[in-house]
Amino acid sequence: MRVLAVEDDALLGDAIQAGLKQAGFAVDWVKDGVAAQHALQAEPYAAVVLDLGLPRLSGLDVLQHLRARRDATPVLILTARDTVEDRIKGLDAGADDYLIKPFDMGELAARLRALVRRASGETAPVLCNGALALDPASHRITYLDQAIELSAKEFAVLQALMLNLDRVLTRTQIEAQLYAWGDEIESNTVEVHIHHLRRKLAPELIQTVRGVGYLMPRAQAD
Amino acid sequence: MTHPPSLKRRVLTLALAGMALIWVGTVIVTYFDAREELNEVLDAHLTQAAALLIAQTAHDIEEIEIEHARPLHKYSQRVAFQIWEAGQLRLHSANAPATPLASREQGFSDSTVEGQRWRVFSSRDASGKVLIHVAELAEVRDKLAREVAKNLLYPLLVALPLFAILLWLAVGRGLRPLASLTREVASREPDNLAPLPVGAAPAEVLPLIDRLNRLFERIAASIQNERRFTADAAHELRTPVAAIKAQAQVARGAQDTTERTHALDSVILGCDRAAHLIEQLLTLARLDSLQKSALESCELQTLAVEVIAEMTPLARQKNVQLELAEGETATVQALPGLLRILLRNLIDNAVRYSPAGTQVQVRVDRENSQPRISVSDNGPGIPVEERDKVPERFYRPLGTGEQGSGLGLSIVQRIAAIHGATLQLAAGEAGRGLRVTLLFPSGDTSSEHRRLE
Repeated sequence: MRVLAVEDDALLGDAIQAGLKQAGFAVDWVKDGVAAQHALQAEPYAAVVLDLGLPRLSGLDVLQHLRARRDATPVLILTARDTVEDRIKGLDAGADDYLIKPFDMGELAARLRALVRRASGETAPVLCNGALALDPASHRITYLDQAIELSAKEFAVLQALMLNLDRVLTRTQIEAQLYAWGDEIESNTVEVHIHHLRRKLAPELIQTVRGVGYLMPRAQAD
Repeated sequence: MTHPPSLKRRVLTLALAGMALIWVGTVIVTYFDAREELNEVLDAHLTQAAALLIAQTAHDIEEIEIEHARPLHKYSQRVAFQIWEAGQLRLHSANAPATPLASREQGFSDSTVEGQRWRVFSSRDASGKVLIHVAELAEVRDKLAREVAKNLLYPLLVALPLFAILLWLAVGRGLRPLASLTREVASREPDNLAPLPVGAAPAEVLPLIDRLNRLFERIAASIQNERRFTADAAHELRTPVAAIKAQAQVARGAQDTTERTHALDSVILGCDRAAHLIEQLLTLARLDSLQKSALESCELQTLAVEVIAEMTPLARQKNVQLELAEGETATVQALPGLLRILLRNLIDNAVRYSPAGTQVQVRVDRENSQPRISVSDNGPGIPVEERDKVPERFYRPLGTGEQGSGLGLSIVQRIAAIHGATLQLAAGEAGRGLRVTLLFPSGDTSSEHRRLE
């Protein structure tokens, strides 16, 4: 899952990027409000971690612009402002969650997962489709009650497909969820990951829509 | 044990003492006045009595049978007479002594016979053979005058306590607004800084209420300021602490040594940053509560050399050339410790925001006899529209990648204000970078011990 971190503090931004990466996210990091706006317009993010006290354009402004564009990307506000009024203002401006500094990296990752899950309409923390189950928190996959070992990227592709059951994802859309800026993107990489997933799970789980992309059909209830 | 002076008691004491003094004065004047009047009246009586006696003797001295007259009135005991003829005491009153009452033979005299003081009127009859002394005990007169004075004093003894009670009540009533003011202030919660009600306060108490209200206002502003500062400070410390915690957690979850080392280095850096921020906050807090203290003569050039020497290692570390430009000597009245902090902050800022390989220049000179010290760098500078914001607490210029406390210029500003100096921000040499100038007031250097406002 690709998220955008907006944080003007160099040390903290660096830590968020590294910590979320460890939690399996692909993270882009920008340091001011204007850069955040550009990034949000250019890339499809699964979620945004937003500091409020930003140079050039405040976090609240970024949020309001985002919502004004009818962009529903989940936004988690990460700030040192802890008064109830601040929190109310943030949530009313369109934030989905609010976390006060200093925070726990594990909690930040968990809240982001929850935000993404809710945004996709899922209610269970573990994504299920038939015999396939994906636990975003523990990065564990089970298929037909067997634990399946996947690489981080394979996991991310599978998660993207499972969050969009019965919807076609283009190669670019999948790529965008896999790589943060500066990550080296190998050619045919999505095809390779899909190939591996089919081999490790079952070929029929992921369908190819020729010339468009891939799709995971919702399993019929038994 | 000493009591604080009571307004009520003082008013009462003064009024009663004043009243008693005036009354006693009146009594004394009356006493002397009465004595004089009495003297005249009684002297007249003496002459009259003498005239009567002379008239009597002229007719028939032999016919007076009694050797001495019977006392007819209580005061008559005090009146005596003698009739002398050819050295013989022919007739005298019962209370008269045997010796002559006076040595004088004509007119008034005062004499002491047998231990008694007499007022005597002497006269001879027309033939000159008979000498008459009519005398009155001087004590009588004194006693009469004293009686008059005493009669005046008695009402005072009654009036004084009565007056005291009335006055006590009146003063108490007059001071009631003060008492209610006291109650109002005493019953206040410590955080209640609302103005006191002016209400029906009398003109004498109004200025007090007014001043108190103004004091409350100032205290409220100061507390507000302190609260905001504490809130700002806590807020500002959250980010470095969050960074430290996050980096530590990244280090714990790191997959390889490089990532872990990087995170741990960041933890240390974050601690340094938090420590620096705390130090700057403390400096600022100390400056805010700085009390009046004596200024000293301070040579700016010398001070600059010292601070530059101290800051050179940091500059070398960043590969920035730090130098003192040629200038003039200038002496200011200052607190050298604070000026050192100020200069250290300016140089630290300049070095921090300077690209490697550039120069930071410190210069001491004068502008129209006003001593000034300036620090210029070749860093990114600060856009004109943002320059006003710079000395605000926790302002940090954008996109420099440097992590200052955001307090440096606040500290500089505060120290400048303490010295009555002004802080100017301008573009550096050739319009590049930033030049921060501190312009001191044109000091008259004679007043070595000028005190701070």
